[in-house]
Amino acid sequence: MDVTADASRGLDLSRLVEFGKSVYSLVILLVLWEVVGQLGLIHYYFLPPLSDILIRFAELTLSGEMLFNAYLTLQRALIGLAIASVLGVIVGVLSARNDIVDWFFDPIIKIGYPVPIISLIPVFMLWFGIGDISKIIMVAVGTFWPVAVNARESTRQVETNLIWSAQMMGTSDRRLLWRVVMPAALPGILTGFQIAMPLSLIITFVFEMVAGGGGLGALEIQGVRSFESAQVYAAIIAIMLIGIGLDRILRFVRGRLLHWT
Amino acid sequence: MDGRVTISGLEKVYGQGAERTKAIEDLNFEVDGGEFVSVVGPSGCGKSTLLYLIAGFLDATEGTISVDGDPINGPGTDRGVVFQDYALFPWRTVYENVTYGLEEDGVPKDERQNIAQKYIDMVDLDGFEDKYPKELSGGMKQRVGIARTLAYEPKILLMDEPFGALDQPLRESLQDQLLDIWSDLGKTALFITHDVEEAVYLSERVLIMTRHPGTKKTVAEIDLDRSGSREEIVTSDDFAHFKNDVWKSLHEETQTEVTL
Amino acid sequence: MLPTPVQGVVNTIVDWIPLGIVVLVWELVSGGIVATDVLPAPATVGAEIVGLFVSGEVFSHLFISLFRVGVGLGLSILVGVLLGVGMARSDPVENFFDIFLSMTYPIPKTALVPLAILWLGVGTKTAILIVFLACLLPIVLNANNAAENVDQNLVWAAQMMGTDERSILYKIVFPATIPEIMTGVRQAVPIAFIALVSAELIASNAGMGYLILTSGQIGNYPTMFANIVIISAVAFVAVRAFEEARGRLLVWT
Repeated sequence: MDVTADASRGLDLSRLVEFGKSVYSLVILLVLWEVVGQLGLIHYYFLPPLSDILIRFAELTLSGEMLFNAYLTLQRALIGLAIASVLGVIVGVLSARNDIVDWFFDPIIKIGYPVPIISLIPVFMLWFGIGDISKIIMVAVGTFWPVAVNARESTRQVETNLIWSAQMMGTSDRRLLWRVVMPAALPGILTGFQIAMPLSLIITFVFEMVAGGGGLGALEIQGVRSFESAQVYAAIIAIMLIGIGLDRILRFVRGRLLHWT
Repeated sequence: MDGRVTISGLEKVYGQGAERTKAIEDLNFEVDGGEFVSVVGPSGCGKSTLLYLIAGFLDATEGTISVDGDPINGPGTDRGVVFQDYALFPWRTVYENVTYGLEEDGVPKDERQNIAQKYIDMVDLDGFEDKYPKELSGGMKQRVGIARTLAYEPKILLMDEPFGALDQPLRESLQDQLLDIWSDLGKTALFITHDVEEAVYLSERVLIMTRHPGTKKTVAEIDLDRSGSREEIVTSDDFAHFKNDVWKSLHEETQTEVTL
Repeated sequence: MLPTPVQGVVNTIVDWIPLGIVVLVWELVSGGIVATDVLPAPATVGAEIVGLFVSGEVFSHLFISLFRVGVGLGLSILVGVLLGVGMARSDPVENFFDIFLSMTYPIPKTALVPLAILWLGVGTKTAILIVFLACLLPIVLNANNAAENVDQNLVWAAQMMGTDERSILYKIVFPATIPEIMTGVRQAVPIAFIALVSAELIASNAGMGYLILTSGQIGNYPTMFANIVIISAVAFVAVRAFEEARGRLLVWT
């Protein structure tokens, strides 16, 4: 028998055990869910069997309904987030580098940041209606704050020595921003995006639940209103997948951009 | 020789009102072109402030600093600093850190390559070109810091306790490496340290500063025969003699600190 | 130069000028470029806030909201600390719960409001559940991280001085993790208010979120704006009060 093959098999086995330990609780829960649902121990309205939910999820996906609603939600969240990212980084970095900009924005950030931005949804419905534009602006306004605050903090914390090093090697004040300040502040700026991303989804979902107009939030609340609980669960599965997907993408981008940290 | 630093009537005050503190007062001193001078003094005597004033990072409150007769105005590529905490750009590789100054100077790519390689070899870092600073030990980082500063060829090297964070054997080997580089390249070197032995071993003259506010207390001429090995030099009577001189002078200052 | 106290006052005034400009522009725009319906003037909103408090109309809703946010946050601290420290100190606990945490981590918790409605109906229980779920993760993560990284020297020092294995947990591990637990709670407080208002906008017949939504729907815009200002002020004060309390509690850090 080959010794190395044996060793690697042993390793695989222990890995398998580790994997089993880390997922067994989920498996038990899912099986329990199915059994309880099938036996009717909990009313169908509260907890449909897992299989029914997955079938509903597949139906909605195959009919294109789920994909279309996911598209609506993602479009609103991501366009809003993109606008906020651009503006937030500009305002945050400038206010860390320029006293006048900081003088103007500091009190506004201090007052604006703690506002539970969700409470402005009725205001945006009044101002911009219940359509896509209104939702996008709401997302942009809501996610602006964490992006700006993180960009400002990380720019402020760029080490003086790094700036001095660049100056002594001949970097002009104009170029300093791109050559040193932005790369050095990048980790903090990306952290801002990572905080803002789930917030963009939260704002979009709640807006869709309150004002309709399609999207996964609307799909969910419509499920509640028509007593279609399987649809509610199916929409949550889609939301979970989107949340995991976006989180992974941001982590991947972060890993790529910050391989030097 | 080029690279003469003239300091006259230098004064540096930090803060305003009640928080006003004078770090440096009426300092006059000159470092000749190609000379190696160390600065020692009790902690808080403003020796780092002096270095950053010469570098142009800080502005003097009074007095002037000139390089070859021209008063300095902010940082310039005629002076290069080696920082105690290295201050390497963490997002750049060793190679990219060393070529940074050349990029800023508009040196063409293939020429950058040759120059960078020369200095990377000089500090014994060949093979580490593509590593990021986080992958290096403290001693290696500081060698990158030295190569980076040498690469854009400043006339004057300003070093702020560059080996302060390293252990003794590493310090000694870097000191010898620095001396070799200095005698090969003929640059002016101003070296801040709190280690008397390091100051005496490296320099031709040692500037001893007074305690707060800092100014020139005395200057020790270190007229050592440096032809032998490190062991021969540090065990010589001359070395002990110079070391004692500097130590005594410095000790008077630290004594006043204790009695205050 | 001005004497220091006068200088301080001048600085404070200068610091807040930009906010004054914003309020002034708002006042000028309202009724000018923009209809007062769409954007009531600050003075109108200010008067409305005073009116809401004088008539006592706002109190019942405010208390309901505070109750929901308080209970939800309190539960999340209790469960979050137990879970976070438990997972750090015991492998079976970690193996059991870790998968759930990593699966629920990327779900925006407000997306669970409809599910909460299915289970608990419209009202206080749903709001508390959403606040609880939204605040749980930052607290668990911080508590877990802190408990996993307790300085081993502290534990050894305690053992050397005769502390037994059981007492280590509450004599060393808990005190050592308190600063980071506080950090988690600090992150959770604003989240709690977002979760609260979300739940109240979608699934409530009372509370500040409900009041904001309904006054908007019936066209009573000064009341809508006034309530937004009130709930924002409450959130702001909550964060500040917590930071103050943390500063006093953690004098040793």
